Amino acid sequence: MKSKTTIALMITSALFVSMPVTANDVTDLNELKIELLKMRQDYESRIDALENRLANMEQETVRVETQVNSAKKKTVPAGSSRFNPAISLVLNSQFSDYSRDPEGYQISGFAIPGEGGLAREGFSLGESELTFSANIDQLLMAQTTIALHDDEGETEVEVEEAFIETLGLGNGLIVRAGRFFSPIGYLNEKHIHAWNFADAPLIYRGLFGNQLVTDGIKVSYLLPTDFYMEVGGTAGNGDQNPGSGQHNGIGDWLIYAKTGGDLGHNSSWQLGLSHWQSSPDDREIGAGHSHGGEAGGESVAFNGDTDISNVSFVYKWAPNGNMRQENITFLTEYFYLNDDGELSVENELAQYDGKQYGGFVEGIYQFSPHWRTGLRYDYLGSDLSASDTELLDDAGLDNSGFHPKRYGLMLEWLPSEFSRFRAQINHDRASSVHDTQVLFQYTVSLGAHGAHNF
Amino acid sequence: MMKKLFFISLLLSYTVASYANLNIFACEPEWASLSEELGGSKLTIYAATTGLQDPHFIQARPSLIAKARQADLLVCTGAELEIGWLPLLQRKSANAAIQNGAPGYFMATDTVTLTGIPEQLDRSQGDIHADGNPHIQTNPQHILTVAKQLSLRLQQLDPSNQTFYQQRWLDFEQRWTQAMQRWQQQAAPLRGMPIVIQHNSWDYLIAWLALDKIATLETKPGVPPSVSELNTIVQRLKSTPAKVVIHAAYQPARASDWLVDKTGIVKVTLPFTIGGNAAASNLFSLFDNTLALLLEAQK
Repeated sequence: MKSKTTIALMITSALFVSMPVTANDVTDLNELKIELLKMRQDYESRIDALENRLANMEQETVRVETQVNSAKKKTVPAGSSRFNPAISLVLNSQFSDYSRDPEGYQISGFAIPGEGGLAREGFSLGESELTFSANIDQLLMAQTTIALHDDEGETEVEVEEAFIETLGLGNGLIVRAGRFFSPIGYLNEKHIHAWNFADAPLIYRGLFGNQLVTDGIKVSYLLPTDFYMEVGGTAGNGDQNPGSGQHNGIGDWLIYAKTGGDLGHNSSWQLGLSHWQSSPDDREIGAGHSHGGEAGGESVAFNGDTDISNVSFVYKWAPNGNMRQENITFLTEYFYLNDDGELSVENELAQYDGKQYGGFVEGIYQFSPHWRTGLRYDYLGSDLSASDTELLDDAGLDNSGFHPKRYGLMLEWLPSEFSRFRAQINHDRASSVHDTQVLFQYTVSLGAHGAHNF
Repeated sequence: MMKKLFFISLLLSYTVASYANLNIFACEPEWASLSEELGGSKLTIYAATTGLQDPHFIQARPSLIAKARQADLLVCTGAELEIGWLPLLQRKSANAAIQNGAPGYFMATDTVTLTGIPEQLDRSQGDIHADGNPHIQTNPQHILTVAKQLSLRLQQLDPSNQTFYQQRWLDFEQRWTQAMQRWQQQAAPLRGMPIVIQHNSWDYLIAWLALDKIATLETKPGVPPSVSELNTIVQRLKSTPAKVVIHAAYQPARASDWLVDKTGIVKVTLPFTIGGNAAASNLFSLFDNTLALLLEAQK
């Protein structure tokens, strides 16, 4: 109000100064005063109106702001679902075509365990994975992946992973317990749907029947260094192939070390080493799906000591480190398995010394945000000796020293971060039989945003 | 023996830490630069990304895990921009200081009001962010708001240098406020300028400069526009022409180039953040350069 009076005074004085006043013009002056008063009222009412408009606008702004804030708060779901874990669902399906009968599929020098065989020909539903994860409390988080897949007409439910893990124990220390993918190799720690090809590398197929899972405990320590250096170990129940049997204490154990870093802005790398040991009790050899029908009698069992060593190397390159547009991944892994013990079937017994080794090299080129292509080469070998070679035959182990090989080429279309269509062709020489395999596959993920693992 | 070594190394890391600077892990270069302004010589700053990288599509690679392990304070954008990699880094670094809710966890978007909150969360609508548009660094007012909170956080984490951080904040506030006045004056001719944007990363810049957004080439964020969508935009531009088409330096200009080809519109590649081009080397030059590029195109 004060300012309005000042303005009015200024106007008045300005008018007075600019107009010479004589004593005779009193009436004029009065008229002028009235005029001025009118003007002043007019100005005052206009300023009032302006002030009102401003106040209204301010109110409007506050209203909009509260609306925005309430809208922001609305994103937190209400009620008892508020603490629901993050849920993600991965679905995939495949069409496979082979030039040979997949039932007879073999890898020379290896006995494919468990689910390591080929997917059925024609259309097949792959693994549908449901993952839940959440923090349990201030100390722990938990994650589980339930996989559903069909096996000869029946749907099998499998707990792929289910573990608890310490949260910010601090000082680089993490303890995990439950069931988890063993840190034995680079690909082994990733879910199959995150792999670069529709099928597992031959060595993963031959040694683990695709993937090695540990039921037990894992401890890892990240060194407080400027470059990445992680060491750790696991202790498990020794159940899963190539382990076997009921062990009262620790059935298998593993130690590993990983290191890595960046080379400028464009590239990064990681090198991993691991060593796994177990003493399998009656590990069944040749009892995998691909031999289930023909064996009929008792399968060959292995007792003794088994160890596996792995070395893996990953190199990634992207111009300016911008993975979105274009990038190259180079990955290679090598495994060496050493069996020392005896083979037995019914009443027969033989000393057995088996070495199975091999690896793969793959190069993936993402040439646009939505397209990727890649090449993979597998190479395996074995050196098996038994005091009675008949038992090797019974076990379905070929000791001819043949080197299984495979070439694979894939092309992927990625409409978004959440979907992928893949076409793949393999020239497979895993045994003396040549096979050409054509695979079409889609993989989609629903729900919680996936992690961008290295 | 191993045990002994382990404890010695732990002990060493503690003693070193107590004398050393605060370690800042900045997810994006703008927050590295802001930390530098507010903490200077008392901080050791690591920027996890550069101005030429899409900050969403980053992998939790080994070097980032190692740096996160050493961090005393995360300074990141938040609002799901780093959702693919930051939670992984927090987990894998096993660093108690930077877990959610800890004093060492600072998300810039928590300090400002976000716009562009989707009404419906449906991935068929493209890369939408449930918490709103996270690209707040394109408005200098937000930088000031974030700066104040960040300075308070630094004072909380490193109370022995509180007066130092307070002085740096007051100094920054003064310089930034002056710069903002200068930018407002410089930007006067840009008011109401009709523009087309490639990706919705410019909402806050548009609001600040009162630009007039005619169209967005990516009708669904993160999804490359189809030819028919682009043609619709070309038609719209015939009736309501735009002056420039804007895209960020880290994004490919394909859609913008297409529009330039069809309509002769001027293309402007803005730095988007520090390091987006050579001129944008700190927060001040980022806005100097952004305005210079827009004014140049406006002529």
